[in-house]
Order: sequence, then structure tokens, then C-alpha cells
Amino acid sequence: MSTAGASPAPAGFAAAGSAAPASATTAPANLSEDQTAALQEIANIGMGQAGDSIARIWKQFVALSVPRIALVESGRIPTLIHHFVGDARVSAARQAFHGAMRGEVLVVIGRGNRDQLGELMGYDGQLDLGEEQEMLLDIANVLGGACIGGIARQLGADVGFSAPSLIGTDLDSHAVVRPEELCVSTALCVEVCFTIESNQLSAHLIALMPREELVNLAQLLDRFLCNL
Amino acid sequence: MTVSVLVVDDSPIARKMLRKALPVDWDITVQEACNGEEAMTHYRAGKVDVMFLDLTMPTMDGFEVLAALQKEDLNCFVIVVSADVQPQARERALGLGAIAFVAKPVNAESVRTVLREYGVLV
Amino acid sequence: MDENTDLKLLGFIVERLEVGILAIDPQFRVVLWNRFMETHSGRDLDSMRGQCLFESFPELPERWLRRKIESVFELGNYSFTSWEQRPYLFRFQHNRPITGGVDAMRQNCTFLPLRDASGVVRLVVLTLSDYTDTALIQQKLTAAMAVSDEERRKQRALLRRLQDAKAQLFQSEKLASIGQLAAGVAHEINNPVGFVTSNLGSLERYLIDLTTLIESYASHADQLPPAAAEAVRRQREKLDYDFIREDLGALIRESREGLDHIRRIILDLKDFTRVDQSGWQLADLEKAFDSTLNVVWNELKYKATIVKDYRHPPQVECIPGQINQVLMNLLVNAGHALGEKGEITLRTGPDPSEVTGAVAEVWVEVEDDGCGISVEHQKRIFDPFFTTKPVGQGTGLGLSVSYNIIRRHGGRIDVRSTVGVGTCFRLTLPVQRSEVADAVSESPDLAAEVTPEELLALEGPDGA
Ligand SMILES: Nc1ncnc2c1ncn2[C@@H]1O[C@H](COP(=O)(O)OP(=O)(O)OP(=O)(O)O)[C@@H](O)[C@H]1O
Ligand SMILES: [Mg+2]
Repeated sequence: MSTAGASPAPAGFAAAGSAAPASATTAPANLSEDQTAALQEIANIGMGQAGDSIARIWKQFVALSVPRIALVESGRIPTLIHHFVGDARVSAARQAFHGAMRGEVLVVIGRGNRDQLGELMGYDGQLDLGEEQEMLLDIANVLGGACIGGIARQLGADVGFSAPSLIGTDLDSHAVVRPEELCVSTALCVEVCFTIESNQLSAHLIALMPREELVNLAQLLDRFLCNL
Repeated sequence: MTVSVLVVDDSPIARKMLRKALPVDWDITVQEACNGEEAMTHYRAGKVDVMFLDLTMPTMDGFEVLAALQKEDLNCFVIVVSADVQPQARERALGLGAIAFVAKPVNAESVRTVLREYGVLV
Repeated sequence: MDENTDLKLLGFIVERLEVGILAIDPQFRVVLWNRFMETHSGRDLDSMRGQCLFESFPELPERWLRRKIESVFELGNYSFTSWEQRPYLFRFQHNRPITGGVDAMRQNCTFLPLRDASGVVRLVVLTLSDYTDTALIQQKLTAAMAVSDEERRKQRALLRRLQDAKAQLFQSEKLASIGQLAAGVAHEINNPVGFVTSNLGSLERYLIDLTTLIESYASHADQLPPAAAEAVRRQREKLDYDFIREDLGALIRESREGLDHIRRIILDLKDFTRVDQSGWQLADLEKAFDSTLNVVWNELKYKATIVKDYRHPPQVECIPGQINQVLMNLLVNAGHALGEKGEITLRTGPDPSEVTGAVAEVWVEVEDDGCGISVEHQKRIFDPFFTTKPVGQGTGLGLSVSYNIIRRHGGRIDVRSTVGVGTCFRLTLPVQRSEVADAVSESPDLAAEVTPEELLALEGPDGA
């Protein structure tokens, strides 16, 4: 989705972001302490900006949790999601991001007041199933774009997004991710919870990056740290 | 006159980013605190003129610091530096006596503007 | 290539790509409108340029689309729609005028922000891809999957019915062969019992003769010499002749009673199994009750008091062996329900004198004052393999076999039960064999529900 390289956009415009992706060579075991601290702060700031943007487009106050960052074995991801989200029935969607950072965003949304939320997003009356799914995809897209976009911007990285796809509405939180579907052994997980209080709606965003991608991320973080 | 500045943030990176954004031509001594309690200790020692205060911190957050400062007559300039930039957070911080609110990520430009505005820096 | 040719090339691609491309400014005015959009909407760029999108296309979902585009301007991120949730944004004709199947072109849309040098989003570009073919394929796939799901569901149901039917068949065959065995044994015993009975008759007559003879000797005892008379008297005392004479009668009587009992059991067994006469015939249900009761008496005698409340209804046309089987199941269940001790009432009706006209249906009831059956269980007791009894005591087939037998007779089986109070099962049978009953009984249980084609399908190449 992102324009890479030198092909010029129409006069006076540039597509969002423009740096070329860094190339990966060897995978680091983990991020260093400095790198992790930097990522944490960048995530804090990114989420703050995301919250603000979302508050502006939906005209609602959004409460944000402090992002949690951890390197997890993929087998533990389903348990982790259950730990973040709890026992409630949920809806979920995923969205891929690529470019200087590569990974997937899972957005898991609790029940909340869908019709009221639909109203905010410009739907009329009660939502049918298609509209509910579309709204879920849109929320995933907005949250994913805002969070990953916010992090990428601070790192000066160019990141594009694929269209989001539906995992399901009304799922058991254990069923959001099946271990057998996972094709990486370790992933960097960034979790944040958005709560739109007027709708009792809470959404968890879990960004997962395969461990091989840490090399690129580490380079970006080092560049960020150098400029401090 | 040398101004004493306290940078309060739980993140070492954030403290570094802030120090980097402080005007180079400003005659200051800078101290750091990594949570609200430490900030209060520095303040009570009587050597804080300007405080850059983060809002979300594990022990004693920025709002609690502001409330405690108000109780103790607040005689320093508090500039809140926050990642949460929604109007609600800004209003609450200003309501608790902060003189200004700066959004993260901080840059030299925004810090200088704020300092000028309140006459802390000429 | 210089910059100019580059731009020309790009312009050409935007114009000719088989993807709809349009760009709008923050006031929703059209800035760019490529050929795909021209062809499908019938409006050219000149007539669209500077026009508000919502004024030109009032059928667009304005409120929602405004929000969506506004959020792209605001956030500067991509946004999407998919034909699966929203079939189309612009109502265009699809590319399958002949082989269609959908009402309009299915579209996937992407909204992408274009920023100016200072980073402000100035335009939103909307691209529209035709997904009609994908949608049609998906439609077919979904339909095919629904069919195969339905088929699988049917097969599973059939398989279950087949298994149930097999189990029931096995159970009835087992009962039938037990019956045959019992009848065979009864027949074998019948002969020796016959000659023992007749021998016992002769023996009794001979004994009477012998005692008469001895009595007549005794009446002449005074004519014997004193020493001989004394010896006889002592011998008589030693053998306790008076007792022997009295006891002989009792012994013979009891033996005869014993033999009678054996004969009755044999008759009941034969009656119960009816191996000799297995087809439809008129039968007296009270007699059926009595002979069945005798067969299961061993199970019941220590704990059950039997109360009979018979009203002598007319005979019914039935297969007596099968009806006996049902009665036996009910009696055994009642016995199990009693626990330590209790009462079982056997009732029949109606009383013909209380019915105006001919009696059409006859009923029999087995009532116990045992543990009762909960309401949830009442729904399931006729299911094959439903049992609350420990392994070894119940297989859960009794009532399901009974149910099928009664159904084949064109009758009903009903249950009333209160937990802790007791249970009453009532069988209602038509006096005359009905046509329904014929239809059902002619075909074996399995074939009544499963057509031959279904059976073939079940046992098809992939095995069942
Ligand atoms: N008279 C009764 N009182 C209480 N429960 C009964 C009575 N008759 C049947 N039931 C319940 O219905 C269940 C099913 O009865 P059914 O005769 O079909 O199977 P079963 O007696 O368990 O086993 P079997 O195959 O040996 O007959 C029993 O397990 C019992 O729970
Ligand atoms: Mg039984």
C-alpha cells in the first residue's frame, strides 16, 4: 500500500511516509534495555496521539492504558489474549502492516453498545450483521493505523497497511488466535486498551511482530536513540 | 541567575528527550526524578524553580504531585508534559495549577514557546 | 525518461487502469475521475470536476461515507471497505451481462490520504476494484458448502438411526431366541412331567390298594397266635405305621401340586413366547398380564405386592409374543423402581358395560409406587440407550423397543409420573388391527424410516 522508492506522486503531494525499509540480516535475541525503554516511551506517545485522533473523529473521550510490551513465545499468545481481555465474548479483526516494520495488529472488542457506536460512525438505526462487521473492521483499521502509524512516524519509518479482515463476531476470547495458525515461534507483543466510556466499549489492540523483524525495529530504535 | 529545573518522568528516554529540548542558552541546573515521590522530596528541599512533570507514573502520578504541590502552596512553575493530549487531561492539569501543558514528543520549539509565554525565559 | 514522460505514463495508467480512481478534496468535491468511473457512471470528468460527490450521487450513504472520508483526512491513514460487508459503494452494472447472478458490481474500496509537503492531508483518493467474479465464486462455494453440510448432517442422522435400529433389532432377537430356548426346554420337560404325573396317579391308586390290604390284615389280627400278634404290633409301632399312612396322602397331594405348578409354568412360558403361534391373533390382555407376571415372578415376589384391577375388556388383535414382551419390560421396570418394597397395580379397561357401542380401544396400565421419573427424564426414557441404571442392570432399550412394538400395533404408550410418588405406564391398543398398523408392521423397523436409496448412500463406497 505504501509507495516505496522514487516514483513521484502528483505535484505537491507525497503519499504518507516515504523512507525505504531497512534490510534484515541476523535476528537479535531481544531488544536491549535502552531499546525497550525507547520503544515503551514511543508507544506511550503513539497511543496518546492515537487516543487524541480517535477522540476527535468520534467526538468521545477515550481512556488509554499504558502500553505493555513483551517478547512472547507464540504458543502463549492465546493465553495472553485471554489474560488481556478476560472471559467475555468478543469480536475480533486483524490487520497486517508492512514496510520498515512488519507484523499484524489484532483488535479485540468487547460487547459495548454497538448501536450507539454505530450512530457515532454514521450508521442509521440498528446495525445489521454486515454493518456490525464493517464497523468492527473500521475500528480495527482506525486503531491499528493510529497506533502503528504513530509509532512509525516517531521512528521515521514508512509503514503501509493491508485491508483489515474479520476473525469473528461473538467469539470466546480463547478462540481469537489458534496456536496452530501461528507461523512464528516468538513475537514482540505491544498491548494497549482503549475505553470509550460513554459506550462502555473497550478495545484491546495487540500488535505482533515476528522475531525476525526485531532487527529492523532495533535499527530504527538505535537511530532514534542516537538522535537524542 | 541560575534557574533550577526538575525533570520528572518514569522513562529515562523521556527525561533525555526533554533535557535535549531545553534551550541551550538557558542558565540552568537540571535534576531528575523518576516518580512523584522523588519529585516531592526535591521540591521540599526547596531547590526547584521549574518542574517538567509527566502525568502517568507508577508511584504517585502527575495529578497527585500537582495536588500535593497545591497543598504546600506551590511556589514553582509546573509544566506538564504528557502523551495523553486529550482536552480532558489538559484541563485537569491546568485546573490543578500547572502553568502550561506540552504534548509529547517534546521539541525545542514548543518548550521555548511555553517558557517565553510565561516569562520564565526572556 | 525525463520527469515529463514519467508523469505522462502515470497519467495514462491512472486513466486506463481497470480500477475506479477518484480524488476528493475536504469539501467532498471531485478533483479526479478516471475512465473506469466515466464508463460505469456515465458521467465524464468535465461534468464531475468540482462537483460535490453527494450532490452528484444522492444514492450514496452520505452520513456514513462523510464520517469515513473525514476520518481519513483527520488521521491520515488508509481506510477500506469490502464487498463482503458492503457489496458496493457506487451502484454500477457488473461485467457479467449474460451470465450474471448479482444485482450490481461488487466492489472493494480503498481510501488513501494524499499529504502536501507540510504533512496536511489535502486529498483523499478513492480506488474501486471490481470483485464481482470473486463474489460469484464465493456465492457458489457457500451454496455448495451448505448443501454438503446438510448432506453430512443427514448422513450422521441416518447413521445414528441405523445404529439404534441395529441395537433394537439385536435386543428383540435376543428376547425372541431366549423365548425359543425357554419353549424348547419347556417342551422337553413336558414329557417327563407327563409320565411322572401319570405314574404318580398309578402310585396313588396302588398305595390306596396296599393300605386297604394292610387294614384288612389288621382287622383280623386278633385271630393270630399271641406271640405273632405281639411281633406285628411291635413292628407296626417301630415303623410308625399310623404316621406313614397319614403322611402318604399329604406327600402325594403335594407332589401333585408341584407337578401342577410345573405344568402351569410350562404353559405360561409357551403362552408368553407363543413360538407356536407368532402372527396376528385375538388375545386377552388380562391373560397376557397373568402369564407374563408368572414369568417375572421371581424378580418381584420378595418386594412387590400385586394388585389386580381388571375390568375385562374385549380381546384385541395383536402379536401376543410382542405384547408380552412390552408387559414384561414394564413389570421389570416397575420392580426396579420399587426398591425394597412396594405395590404394583395391573389395570385393564375399559369395562365394556360402561361403553356405549363397540369398544374400539383397550388399555392396560402398570402402576408402581416407586421412585418416579423426573420431567427431564420423561422426555428421554423412550430414547434408545437412555438408562439411569448401573451398567449390567439396564441397557436402556426396554422402553424404546416397547415403544416401537406399540407403534407397530397402531397403539400408544403414555406415562404419568411424579418423583417420589410413583409411575404409571398405559398402553392403548386398537381392538382391530388398523391399516396404519399394517403399513408399519409389514416393513421392518429400519426400512420404515430409511429409504433404500438412503441405505445405499450410507453404505456407499466411503463406508458407513
Ligand atoms: N416404572 C419406572 N419408574 C421409574 N423409572 C422408570 C420406570 N420405567 C422406566 N424408568 C426409567 O426409564 C429408563 C429407561 O427404561 P428402559 O426400560 O428403556 O431401560 P432400562 O430399564 O434402564 O434398561 P433395560 O434395557 O434393561 O430395560 C430407566 O433407566 C429408568 O430410569
Ligand atoms: Mg427396562
